[in-house]
Amino acid sequence: MKDLLTEIWESIRRNKLRTALTGFAVAWGIFMLIVLLGAGNGLMNAFMNQGDRFATNTMAVFGGVTSKPANGYQTGRRIELNDQDIVLTQSALFSEHVEKVSPELFKGPYTLAFNGRHISAYLNGCSPTLQEMNKIEMLEGRFINQNDIRLKRKAIVLAASHAIELMNGGEDYVSLIGKTVTAGGITWMVVGVYKTDRTAQRVEDFVPFTTMQVLMNEINRVDQINFSFHGLTTEEENDQFEKTYRTALNRAHKAAPDDESSIWIWNRFTQNMQMNKGTHYIRTALWILGIFTLVGGIVGVSNIMLITVKERTREFGIRKAIGASPWEIMKLILAESVSITAFFGYIGMFLGMVACEVMKATVGQSSVEFFGETFHVFVNPTVSLSISFGVTILLVVAGTLAGISPAMKAARIRPIEALNDN
Amino acid sequence: MLIELRNIHKTYDNGQPLHVLKGIDLGIGEGEFVSIMGASGSGKSTLLNILGILDNYDEGEYWLDGKLIKSLSETEAAHYRNRMIGFVFQSFNLINFKTAVENVELPLYYQGVGRKKRNELAMTYLERFGLTDWATHYPNELSGGQKQRVAIARALITHPHILLADEPTGALDSKTSVEVMNLLTELNRTEKVTIIVVTHESGVANCTDKIIHIKDGIIGETTLNEQHQSSIFGTETIMK
Repeated sequence: MKDLLTEIWESIRRNKLRTALTGFAVAWGIFMLIVLLGAGNGLMNAFMNQGDRFATNTMAVFGGVTSKPANGYQTGRRIELNDQDIVLTQSALFSEHVEKVSPELFKGPYTLAFNGRHISAYLNGCSPTLQEMNKIEMLEGRFINQNDIRLKRKAIVLAASHAIELMNGGEDYVSLIGKTVTAGGITWMVVGVYKTDRTAQRVEDFVPFTTMQVLMNEINRVDQINFSFHGLTTEEENDQFEKTYRTALNRAHKAAPDDESSIWIWNRFTQNMQMNKGTHYIRTALWILGIFTLVGGIVGVSNIMLITVKERTREFGIRKAIGASPWEIMKLILAESVSITAFFGYIGMFLGMVACEVMKATVGQSSVEFFGETFHVFVNPTVSLSISFGVTILLVVAGTLAGISPAMKAARIRPIEALNDN
Repeated sequence: MLIELRNIHKTYDNGQPLHVLKGIDLGIGEGEFVSIMGASGSGKSTLLNILGILDNYDEGEYWLDGKLIKSLSETEAAHYRNRMIGFVFQSFNLINFKTAVENVELPLYYQGVGRKKRNELAMTYLERFGLTDWATHYPNELSGGQKQRVAIARALITHPHILLADEPTGALDSKTSVEVMNLLTELNRTEKVTIIVVTHESGVANCTDKIIHIKDGIIGETTLNEQHQSSIFGTETIMK
């Protein structure tokens, strides 16, 4: 092994400039590949951050407008969900897949008042399970709990942004907990403050679902039913389940069983699956682009190795005459090719990673204001360690490919011809 | 017989067929010191290439130390060359980016001998040929005679069955030529190395014990030359 390395080093040392120029092409190829993948990751991470807001194994169901006449009703009838739909969702009919069910009831905007400060706010009547499904992060206090639901307590969980506004911009919203606020003519006790999601469509304050139904005079109304599920892994299984579920709900609301617009189902799992598919395509496209850049470098290495073989024909002839087998000669060229590719490839990879870190420190920190919401264009635009390993393997394969044709040419050299070539 | 050639034919086909060897029968025993003489185009180089397993032949049989050398794969041929044959060339054919000692140890590398042992052995050979001080010199820092002695050391390091020398003095002046031929003679006398020298110089041929004349692809006369009197130029020196 050491002998082989010595041979390679001797050969490279004799052609410093040529090796460096070829190496540059390879380094550039890998550099581009890493930077492209890093930038792609940054874009996708930003994209995924939006999708991360909900637990992925949940569906949200809400009422729509019928598109088919059924049971004597014309089209265009508005369907509103109700308590029976919750019962139906929880029933044995779907218990194979459905786990937790969480209804929501939206009202507002109301004037939310505390200590002479007034702001406009939407109330969301929900159940405790919503916290898990929507990944609501508590900053202080607690979320709505089962006792709130059972006793129809007038408890409220405030959004942090609201809490801060009610405290006149002060950050000490902790002191709000245990105090009372008014909204919609009702006095609520603040039990918790949750972290506001800047990408959320609107900022809501949470109250118990049952309290909301009773106090806001909306008995038997449900705006949205969320439920978590398990055992649906493929798109087909999900479609099948949605179809069955839709049929059951349509029947309950006297709509045509196959009406697709009477009940809207938002399946976050399949949506996530499609998003993953999308990011997969983007990533593949980036790999292809990067690899094409790399191919340029590889062709360069291959070219250089061909010239090397040409120049060293006589030497290889001598080696063969004194007993080098064709494979020994091939080994020399292949090892040199792989060494050049790997060495300069690693330099390119290192520089690419530095560039990614620079991107992370600059573009990655900036954000865009869009309709009052903040969006990050790049989030963590770097490549993972596993990709680096992938690139390592890629480099070795590339070096071998680049060397294989020159190496075979070298192995085919006939000693008599090489030696006569004075 | 160490070497036996039976009815060897060789035809080159570059555009039009060229029948170079037309039935060579030859036997060379162990420890012999033989020269093959002939004009250019006589087929002597082709014969040497076949003897050195650098080239194939079309017809006949070549037995080397009891082994039939025929239709070998490249790898097998390389193996036999490495183990059985030592080459000395007119233009030395040293690898010029390797030092003298590295050149000498190269055949052992292809035998898989370890670095340290290789180096020790190479140094003993260089010492024998008075080249110890030049061991770490590159070929371009050596004189012609020194280069040829390095090449001979390289050829001998594997203890080959035969030493094939192709115009070993072709690139040397007459004084150095005598030195090199004396060295070969001494190797033949003291170590019983079988040596075959291909040359067109009668002075060189005169140093050997047997002269085989080759002409137009067939063996002409074979002169026994124990007295080294066959050439009028060969008695004192090698005529250049």
